[in-house]
Amino acid sequence: MRASRRSFLKTSALGAGAAIAAPYMFVRTIDQAWGATSWIKKGEPIKIGLLFSLSGGLAVPEEDSTLVMQYAIDEINKAGGIAGMPVEPVIVDAKSDFNVYSEKTKELILRNKVVAIFGCYTSASRKAILPTVMAQDHLLYYPTCYEGAECTQNTICTGPLANQHSKDLIPFMVEQFGKKVFFVGSNYVWPKESNKNAKIWLEKAGGELLGEEYIPLGSSEFGPVLNKIRDAKPNFIFSTVVGASDIAFHKQFKQEGFKVDTMPIASLTTGEIETRAMGNEFGAGHFLSAPYFQALDNPTNHKFVEGFLKSKYGKNGTTHYNMEETYLSAYVFKYGLENTIKAVGIEGVTPRAIRDHSAGVRVEDAVSPEGLIWIDDQNFNTWLKPKIGQCQADGSFKIVKAAAEQVAPDPYSIYPDIGKCTADGLKAPDGKMRKSVI
Amino acid sequence: MAAGSFFGSFDPSAFINALILGISIASIWLIAALGLTIIYGTAGVINMAHGEFIMLGAYSSYMLQNYFGLPFLLCVPAAFVIVAAVGLVLERGLIRYLYKRPLDTLLATFGVSLVLMQGVRLIFGSDPKYLAVPSIFTSNFQLGFVNISAFRVIVLAITIAAVVALWALFYRTRFGVQVRAVMQDKEMAASFGINSDRVYMLTFALGAGLAGLAGSLFGVLNIVLPTMGMGYVVQAFLVVVVGGGTLIGSVVAGGATGELQSIFAYFTNDTFARFVLYVLIVVFLRVRPQGLFAPSATRR
Amino acid sequence: MNIYHNATAQWLAYGVFFVLLAVVPMFVDDSFLLNQFATYGVFGLLALSISLCWGFGGILNLGQGIPFGLGAYGMAMTMQMQSQDASNPIPPFMLNNSLDHLPWFWEPFRHTALGIILALVVPTLFCAIFGGLMFRARVSGPFFAIMTLAMLSAWYTLILDVQPYTNGANGITPPGALKFGDYAIDPYSPVAYWSVLALLAVATVGGRLMTRSRFGLVVQAVRGDAERVRFLGYNVAGYETTIYTIAGFIAAVAGCCWVALTQYVSPAQLDTTFSLSMVIWAGIGGRLSLIGAIIGAFLIQGAQSYLGDTFLNTWLLVLGGFFILVVRFLPKGLAGLLETILGRFPLPQRGNSNGNSAQRLYPQPGE
Repeated sequence: MRASRRSFLKTSALGAGAAIAAPYMFVRTIDQAWGATSWIKKGEPIKIGLLFSLSGGLAVPEEDSTLVMQYAIDEINKAGGIAGMPVEPVIVDAKSDFNVYSEKTKELILRNKVVAIFGCYTSASRKAILPTVMAQDHLLYYPTCYEGAECTQNTICTGPLANQHSKDLIPFMVEQFGKKVFFVGSNYVWPKESNKNAKIWLEKAGGELLGEEYIPLGSSEFGPVLNKIRDAKPNFIFSTVVGASDIAFHKQFKQEGFKVDTMPIASLTTGEIETRAMGNEFGAGHFLSAPYFQALDNPTNHKFVEGFLKSKYGKNGTTHYNMEETYLSAYVFKYGLENTIKAVGIEGVTPRAIRDHSAGVRVEDAVSPEGLIWIDDQNFNTWLKPKIGQCQADGSFKIVKAAAEQVAPDPYSIYPDIGKCTADGLKAPDGKMRKSVI
Repeated sequence: MAAGSFFGSFDPSAFINALILGISIASIWLIAALGLTIIYGTAGVINMAHGEFIMLGAYSSYMLQNYFGLPFLLCVPAAFVIVAAVGLVLERGLIRYLYKRPLDTLLATFGVSLVLMQGVRLIFGSDPKYLAVPSIFTSNFQLGFVNISAFRVIVLAITIAAVVALWALFYRTRFGVQVRAVMQDKEMAASFGINSDRVYMLTFALGAGLAGLAGSLFGVLNIVLPTMGMGYVVQAFLVVVVGGGTLIGSVVAGGATGELQSIFAYFTNDTFARFVLYVLIVVFLRVRPQGLFAPSATRR
Repeated sequence: MNIYHNATAQWLAYGVFFVLLAVVPMFVDDSFLLNQFATYGVFGLLALSISLCWGFGGILNLGQGIPFGLGAYGMAMTMQMQSQDASNPIPPFMLNNSLDHLPWFWEPFRHTALGIILALVVPTLFCAIFGGLMFRARVSGPFFAIMTLAMLSAWYTLILDVQPYTNGANGITPPGALKFGDYAIDPYSPVAYWSVLALLAVATVGGRLMTRSRFGLVVQAVRGDAERVRFLGYNVAGYETTIYTIAGFIAAVAGCCWVALTQYVSPAQLDTTFSLSMVIWAGIGGRLSLIGAIIGAFLIQGAQSYLGDTFLNTWLLVLGGFFILVVRFLPKGLAGLLETILGRFPLPQRGNSNGNSAQRLYPQPGE
């Protein structure tokens, strides 16, 4: 007791003195704190961070992402790891709270010194962590679809961009059901950007936009919107409603007497999980555009589905596009890191170097369940084939159309005035470069 | 969005549909708020766990339907009973110690809501569930240009039935007399031999049960999730506060807010409709802080 | 007498508390930890504001996220404009929302000083107006709590809806740190930590002086019995509005600091859960003790960060249960527990008439 009191006094005296003589500490920078040590060491595990929500409202999709990442890591490790070193995930729980995302990112980078972060499902959480990722010149693998209009040196995305997502869906629907369409989305950035892209495809296909409505995030009251749709009488509905609202939307669609065969919903989000959550009868007949469906018929996908569902991570009983995109990100990382080690040696590996050496990385048919994809060497998004599936009575999807070849990602496709995303930053039409634009 | 654009598109039949939909939205607001009205009106308890009672109602129906194969129509009263029992336990174990500290009941029940939400998540997992209903409920009626879904009619009917039953309970039974006596003056009621402790206990259970009933209906309208209650609780509170904590007040307030929401959403969009509604409520309470129909009893 | 009520001892405790916090950067070399502790300081400010408003003013405020969020948005706008220059004069997200010029209400945020002043003044003014309206209408107690909740939802919806001006759900992410002239405040540096701590210390000492002033005594009397104070001729609504506004100002300061530390703001800052957790911090720490509330914030957030990962799925269960127990058995929070414990070891009475009468001046909690 006495000892501790004495040490306490000593500490406070020391502290008071130091507080006066502290200005030297003002100049310490982050680089000095950790710049010298190398990110990976020969023979030691390669640490990567898995930043997903395991609790809270976002846990529904993100828990699956964590599980499929662990599955992919096990698979990579069983096959000998990366350059002979095993991959070790550092799993944290972002608790569906954007403050926690930000805090955990700092912890993963500064404390755990992971070499890359895999994480986020919503754009809002990505935006919350990007300032930190960029300030530390770190690397984020963002494994899902998003709106684009972002150009940084620190992200690699394995999901479809808004310019890829609905490119085939809109012409297909116009051709099958008619020209008149009604847009419904959740009220936030991604649906609005997706709809801007969809409008371009719609115009090309000769379609006509009857109305555009946005629902508050998490809202479950679709009565007013459905009334407006009933009055507008479109041939089909294009939906970017997400999460629990999406399920309410499909249920109320049927309950309000809308018929799926005369006015189906073409969605960018309603996949296997959502269908199961709403009950198959409410999902059947509607359309989804995604690069991956569980029902894809190819040997790699059969192996992936079977292997995953049988593994200890497969308790949820399904695979879906978001999981597959996450799975791919693990392999994109593996190949990128291998390229980096080949080019600069183990000592030269930094998160930024991995990103730079991931340009053009390909995941071949033999590994990628959705088929060959590759990373764009300028904007570091993914070349992929969007596919259109129709939900069947048993909740599975039937592929009705697949793109003939991979579609190029372009985060600024509808904003040519702003610039073009290149490997070194956003290049404005006047030739001026800006390193990071978020 | 200019004013002209939505008045330009004014269409009487669509507007009438919006008014009819407003009744349905109102019934949803009201049934979500009924339990809260009773609990607040009688005991002055601000029950922040009300949303989680709704969620429990949905999960009880889900459980009964999936594990015991109970038909949906039986799940609704069963959810009432189960959640009422939960409410009873909560009242005996916690709330009854806090009646003298209304702000603290608010906080304690918030703690309860965290526990219930996470408890349900641990038991059922965080993936969404759904309630299956007979296919007759998933259709709609069409009378001329008027459209309304069968299930919305069911919700409306159950809401009306619940309001009538509550009215009868409060104004036509001995228990109702006791409740109203306790509401007006607890000490005076006690001196006439009314066991106010018992009255509080039963009304709390009744209020919780009504939330469970609402939950089993909401599970059909949208989705069963551990977090589903959070969306209803602020809304339910507003109905109670605007109504002044009485049954008739809640009916009128629920009706007005539902109609207003539907009309605003018809003219503008859903998000803006919500914003306008919240602001209107604040302005209304500035003018009439005691709500529409305040009980004549002492101020709490 | 109880040493807990001894003013000298209390000031001493304040001094020790802040000196201890001030020396943390001497021993912590981990920039992550420093940044994390600084954000805890922000949570401390919020808990303090709740303690003033709820503990001392008796006004339960479930919408403290409003001034916090508005302050945070103001600061984020200021920082965002710092990264804009002549060649790209408007934030990137506005271009994506087809705005070709800066909206008028963004203009003042071009100037750092003016921007920060606005970030503090606007939320404070909002509290003054909203509080004034509500308290003059004699909305009080649980009703006021629900109204703050409704107002919070309204702001949340509004900010989400006006996406071209606020970037909606994605929020504003200023790409660089806060700069004063050429000097950038590195959010991971001890400077940032000490700045937040200094604000926390000033707010705490100021808050304590205020609660002991004549104004503070009237406010506490209002908490005890508003009617009686009104009959004594005091303008109750004025006092309530003032304490509510002061709390709002502190929350706005916290919002500014928060964005400087995390370079991020989104409507999530105006989420009801976040505002409710501020009340939990103050409730668990002790709403009647400024330091208690601050420590409550540190404890809960610290436990959330560290125990949260261990307990994972049961964490909310633990937190909720703990909160129920505190409300049920320790209405004055952990500070109240300390008060009770210290009460077991009474100090010898020195000049007791003085101490006791002074103590009686302060209304006791739970009245």
